Amino acid sequence: MSYKEKSLLASLGATLLVFGWYFYQVFSNQMFNIGHEFTFNDIFKPIILFVVLEVIIQSFLAGKNKEDERDALIELTSYRNSYWVLSVGVWFLLIQLLYVGSGGWYDILENSSTAFISHLLLLFFVLAEVTNFITQLYHYRKGI
Amino acid sequence: MSQQTLADKVGVTRQTIFAIEKDKYSPSLEVAFKISNVFKTSLEEVFTYD
Repeated sequence: MSYKEKSLLASLGATLLVFGWYFYQVFSNQMFNIGHEFTFNDIFKPIILFVVLEVIIQSFLAGKNKEDERDALIELTSYRNSYWVLSVGVWFLLIQLLYVGSGGWYDILENSSTAFISHLLLLFFVLAEVTNFITQLYHYRKGI
Repeated sequence: MSQQTLADKVGVTRQTIFAIEKDKYSPSLEVAFKISNVFKTSLEEVFTYD
């Protein structure tokens, strides 16, 4: 397994671990009203934790990281995929925000706080990043 | 010639040479020409189009 694959796997693991745990807490609070109420400022906790974890992991894995045209092509392809995931998420939220308070069946964000909507936005960012990691890993394994 | 030696001469990573050999990556024209130059042969002798 190359340095790039190890690095991607570690980043994917850290993302799933940190944000998976965090969003589990957020959504269990929103749906079942358990745990503490999440505020907008809570968003920074998993982000800071993730950055610290990434610095530790990447410095541990640090090696000769030479990149060439294949790496660039794989990165471009994966960024294109993650862009689509993020776009769908952001448009979904924007359209939902238009219907807040309308009372229809499509008003999914009814009674949602601004903090929860911010968390949904962060969720789409994280899903886009996960898509990026998985696409890169796929192309490193299966070719491009 | 080892994959690493060829990679160093062409200016790509060993993984890219491995991927080209395994038909998992089609190199750019620049890299393809560099590889044929290393072997001092024509492009058609090194690469074929399926």
